[in-house]
Amino acid sequence: MRIVAVDPDSCVACRNCEYACAFQQAGDFDRARAHIRVAYYPAERACVPFTCMQCAEAWCMEVCPAGAIARSEETGAVEIDAARCAGCKMCLLACPFGNIGFDEAHGVSGKCDLCGGDPRCVGSCISGALEYVEVEDAFAFRRQALDARLRHVLRLDKGRL
Amino acid sequence: MSSEREIKQTLCRMCDDRCGIDVHMEDGRIVDIRGNKAHLWNKGRLCVKARAAVDMAYHADRLLRPLKRTVDGWEEIPLARALDEIAARLLEIREEHGARSVSVWKGEAIGFGQQETIARRFIHAFGSPNYLSNDSMCYAARYFGYKLVDGGWPIADLENSRVVVMWGANPPHAHPNMTQYITAARRKGAKLVVVDPRLSAIARRADYHVQPHPGTDGAIAWGLMHELIRTGVYDKEFVERNTVGFPDLAAYAHACTPEWVEHETGVPAAMVREVAALMGTAAPRVAAYVGNGLEHHENGVNSIRAIVSIDALLGAVDREGGCRFVPPVALRELTLYDELPLRELGPLGADRFPVLYDLRQECHTMTAMGAMLDGDPYPLRAMILTGANPLLTNPNTERVRAAFESLDLLVVRDLFMTETAALADYVLPAASFLERTELHAHAKHHVLSLTRQIHDFPDVQGEYRFWHDLGHRLGIGAYFPWEDETALNRWLLEPAGLTLEELEAHPEGITYSPLKPESRTPGPFATPSGKVEFTSRYLKDLGYDVLPVYKTPAYRGAPDPEYPFVLVTGARKLLYMHSRFRNIARFRTAEPGPEVEMHPDDARDLGVGEGDAVTVTSRIGSLVIPVRIMAPAEIRPGELQITHGWSEANVNLLTHDDRFDPISGFPLMKSVEVRVEKV
Repeated sequence: MRIVAVDPDSCVACRNCEYACAFQQAGDFDRARAHIRVAYYPAERACVPFTCMQCAEAWCMEVCPAGAIARSEETGAVEIDAARCAGCKMCLLACPFGNIGFDEAHGVSGKCDLCGGDPRCVGSCISGALEYVEVEDAFAFRRQALDARLRHVLRLDKGRL
Repeated sequence: MSSEREIKQTLCRMCDDRCGIDVHMEDGRIVDIRGNKAHLWNKGRLCVKARAAVDMAYHADRLLRPLKRTVDGWEEIPLARALDEIAARLLEIREEHGARSVSVWKGEAIGFGQQETIARRFIHAFGSPNYLSNDSMCYAARYFGYKLVDGGWPIADLENSRVVVMWGANPPHAHPNMTQYITAARRKGAKLVVVDPRLSAIARRADYHVQPHPGTDGAIAWGLMHELIRTGVYDKEFVERNTVGFPDLAAYAHACTPEWVEHETGVPAAMVREVAALMGTAAPRVAAYVGNGLEHHENGVNSIRAIVSIDALLGAVDREGGCRFVPPVALRELTLYDELPLRELGPLGADRFPVLYDLRQECHTMTAMGAMLDGDPYPLRAMILTGANPLLTNPNTERVRAAFESLDLLVVRDLFMTETAALADYVLPAASFLERTELHAHAKHHVLSLTRQIHDFPDVQGEYRFWHDLGHRLGIGAYFPWEDETALNRWLLEPAGLTLEELEAHPEGITYSPLKPESRTPGPFATPSGKVEFTSRYLKDLGYDVLPVYKTPAYRGAPDPEYPFVLVTGARKLLYMHSRFRNIARFRTAEPGPEVEMHPDDARDLGVGEGDAVTVTSRIGSLVIPVRIMAPAEIRPGELQITHGWSEANVNLLTHDDRFDPISGFPLMKSVEVRVEKV
């Protein structure tokens, strides 16, 4: 299964992902409509992108009394069927990460559906902090970073980085 | 059900990064734009400006018919008649005032390279040397810094470096997909140093955010060189073999101690030592990139020369992980500087700023204002301006307005009725990048691409068609023999050993030349001495300092108590490109309007809150603008930033067209003395 892997250490909080998602959801750049959120803390220079991880045991799906939440066989995304959603907001309460939003205009919950397998947030992520990858490959870059460091440490002409 | 979707591949030109895009079409109409995953530069990723090209192309305010100013306002006229009338006026003006009284002005919006060279060809064929563009206040000063020291502007090999240094550059907003390359380096363990008075988006990821007072970057460069020389970690072999002027450089650097740097720049001496040590350890794999932030100062070129000199001390010139020289693509030359140089006619500004003309054949737009208004040094009476909006982007807007209003003939080609177009005698609808073809070289990956015409509008001309049609009416048709852009592209491409058909089959581009293997004895460098020039005899002979000496900016050296703040202008924003895209509605949702960025202590002292209006006044002019209170780390007290391009609060009402970098002629726009009052 592929997920939207998030690497805060590469994120610059440029907000392209939020705009792209908001555009996909609502045709505008109102960041409040985006399912991906990037928190930015200037004092710490911390950028924290967060989006639905499509939990294997999805509490939102389990709690939904209307049976409006189901896993896509194609992408593995946990999707909300707006036509069945009763607007009860139980899924918002259930999600431990706050990754489900509520569309007041239509009275339904909304969350990341991986755009059907081509997530717009990733396509607009110019830093490379977001990647749409098989879950087991998601953090391979961290092993690569370690490899690069070790290769340097182990080489013979020491003294330079 | 919607009809079949067709995908056409081309390059985005919403900014100059020219990312590969997939244009999705339905029934001949563009419906979506997505990243081309095969393109080497952006690898499928796009900033959200790209999608907005759909909005731009079909915008309700798009100019689609030629307009002529009449006493009753704008009147639509047939394109052929507009061109006939313009040609007749140009011939009259040439007859009365001479050919050099006519000029062309090429804007950023139409691009560089091919579009620029067609305009240059036209004006020389007409008999005037007065080609003007935004380059006399953007880009060229960095080119000079590199050209004067290294003989050319090499490409920073970001992804293979161990230390990335961003000098006054903020790629996430200015060159979005460059950020990917910095991430790639950091994921392999590279350290990131960002030199910027503001905590920019890229500074959020910096290991060292070096935060100098605006315009003092040169002192940091000298302090780093002081440390590299003092500690003896500089590359002595490279310096010995490949450079000239090291003894002079070392003698000057001797006094540039980290403590002196702290006094000049506000950057702690300890940080200067740490960054120098980091560079020394990582050498030669130190990749520096210089942004526009260095250019708009009184001593910008010398700051950049000093920064470029660091590369040579580190032995990072033409090395993997440092900077690499990329061979240029062998295309035919469209300009006429060999056949019709016209130097004897006195290109505007070439006397006062010979480097600007010698090295880039750029006339000086600020000098052109004097020629329009006062006939100084001679009258400039007509201008054809394409894809530019100097009423928002040139310094001292009031003078720019007066200058343009004084012209006998102003023709503006654009997509929209800009502030400058509104002053024109004729406004002609111009093609966007989706409506014309063009050859593009991506130096970073040394690939050549051909952009495609995706769709068209009847009266909307591409650059070549316009200059061709006008040229044929002026008796200079012989210079425009190609019947259309395709024929021109074919002619340009001949020496490159590639065909149009090959390029059409590879929208992601074709490698035009492999990179030379790196060498410990690179060169010869394209400088007068054939070596890296720490000292420039060329500059000395022109009366400039032989070394890139540091000068304290005026606002710090001789502060004026009447103007206690220093204003930086022109920081890039993600969604806007200079004066463009303010008319795209959903961009306004995200970034609604102009603002002056301010430290919370200053806001408190002025008694203003977020969104309150203040009057900002310089010696040039004043404007009213809402306050944006930044986090304390994001900007220093006493320093302000206003981004350009907003007609509601046009920062160029404040900027200087009377204080220049003496080498480049660039105006003072990024360290402007101002005062601020609550409205």
